[in-house]
Amino acid sequence: MKISILFGTESGNGELAAEDLALSLADGHDVEVRDLAEVTVEKISDEALFVFICSTYGEGELPNTALPFYTALSETRPDLTGVKFAIFGLGDSFYTETFGHGSLKLGAELEELGAHRVGEFGRHDASTWEPVGEAAVTWFAEVLSSMRLASHPG
Amino acid sequence: MQPNPTLAIVGSGPAGCYLAQTLRRSLPDAEITIFERLASPFGLVRYGVAPDHQGTKSIQAQFARLFERDNVRFAGNIDVGSVVTLDDLRATHHVVVLATGLARDRRVGVPGENLLGVFGAGQLTRTANSHPLEKPTLPPLGRTVAIIGGGNVSLDVVRFLIKTPGEFAGSDVNDVALEEYAAAPVTHIDLICRSSPEAAPFDPAMVAELGKTPGVQFTSLDHSTADGTTSVEAHPAALAALLPSTPGGTPRVRVRLHFNATTTRIIGMDHAVGVEVRRPDGQLQTIPAQSVITAVGFDCDPSDPLIGDRGASQETGYLAEGLYRTGWAKRGARGTIPENRHCAKAVAAEILEYLAAAALPAKPGYAGLPDAVHDRATDYAGWLRVDAAERAAAPGNRSRKKLPDHAWMVATARETVQK
Repeated sequence: MKISILFGTESGNGELAAEDLALSLADGHDVEVRDLAEVTVEKISDEALFVFICSTYGEGELPNTALPFYTALSETRPDLTGVKFAIFGLGDSFYTETFGHGSLKLGAELEELGAHRVGEFGRHDASTWEPVGEAAVTWFAEVLSSMRLASHPG
Repeated sequence: MQPNPTLAIVGSGPAGCYLAQTLRRSLPDAEITIFERLASPFGLVRYGVAPDHQGTKSIQAQFARLFERDNVRFAGNIDVGSVVTLDDLRATHHVVVLATGLARDRRVGVPGENLLGVFGAGQLTRTANSHPLEKPTLPPLGRTVAIIGGGNVSLDVVRFLIKTPGEFAGSDVNDVALEEYAAAPVTHIDLICRSSPEAAPFDPAMVAELGKTPGVQFTSLDHSTADGTTSVEAHPAALAALLPSTPGGTPRVRVRLHFNATTTRIIGMDHAVGVEVRRPDGQLQTIPAQSVITAVGFDCDPSDPLIGDRGASQETGYLAEGLYRTGWAKRGARGTIPENRHCAKAVAAEILEYLAAAALPAKPGYAGLPDAVHDRATDYAGWLRVDAAERAAAPGNRSRKKLPDHAWMVATARETVQK
């Protein structure tokens, strides 16, 4: 299965998490990492598992680099039935009102358009100082094992 | 064949680190050195971001990779302009980039700013962060303080002044300064903002954070109204949430937020005794204060040997052949830390274009600098020794205890050298 990691970042931490995750999967998976700023919605298909890594910026908005993608999703409303995605949100719990809202918005929009989320919604909190790359790798291992359980129940 | 490019970045704060990161992606084999006058990297992240905003400081984990994994050299304890000249750097490197930020508190531009008892917010923030070249403790502020400016730095100062030491858990605050301050803390703060409550530049999350400290009474005075009073409903939600509907018990600190108040002068003979503001109707009003803190942004000392009086540029990072600038040193003191990432990409594109087009002479890079530079420089391993010493010294409820003295930091960084 091809894994396409798409990151939306303002500070670069999302990119770092995406790169670390790709590196951890390089053995045994066909992985690509792309900046959401350079991805068009037509690229989203059932050909791969899409892993979104996305931060929050300003008052609970998506980072500027991910806004064109998100806007295109909301405006063109493609049918994403059959698309599988996982999503990992970055934020800072100091901003209690808007913590993780960027990735929540993106995930909700993808589901609204028919895409199916696999695994738990990942979360990283900058206030914990937990290394963001390690957090993403640990989270995605759970996603993969939940997918295996789903495809081979029992 | 072109020689391998050698690049020198001056300043290891967010601007310099984002630039190194961007350049490294395109130039995997180039020699990249970041020069820094202190023995610690990360600049504003370590010394400008408030000590109780550890989430914001966590960006330094991203920048640490430059030195730990991406083969970028850290040359600490090198003050470019004194230890080594800019000409030396340019003679030995194909590209030199100034990423020195803007550290000087911008002047309000009113009479009375030179009075005793007038302090810059940047200076106080550096003290709160144990900056090794700043005063170790706060100046005497008295019981009543006026703060000029309505931005996030202004709120950082308010927060430092109203919190009790126990509320700094998890931070790396300068406890020597904090304890001395806490023995005689400020009881009245007047924050003077020339904007309306709606247009004030501070972030709602920063305003909301102020409400977490108990024992503080916030009131708002909108000077565009006849009697200065205004309804709670007239404020943006975050501000409205701070304002009490009815006065409660006796507060520990009273904070008055003045809006639509333009500072006209700081009053005093030798020492500041207050601030004069002009209301929108032209009437002048005096706000008494035993000390005044200015928080109206940052700029560059025109006598600075690197940036000097060049002014800001939104268009280009180019200064001269092979000489560029990025971050606040380029754009002026506007924007948050992540905006420097975007800025770095634009400046890196200019640099890459130059390196591709120019016929480059051989330049030796770091190795070609005078021996005095090599002898003096502290490296990244040295910073890790400082880092470990600071973490080990942290009391239970602090994340680190910063070494407050430059010579001490250098000695700690060079420990293995002295053995």
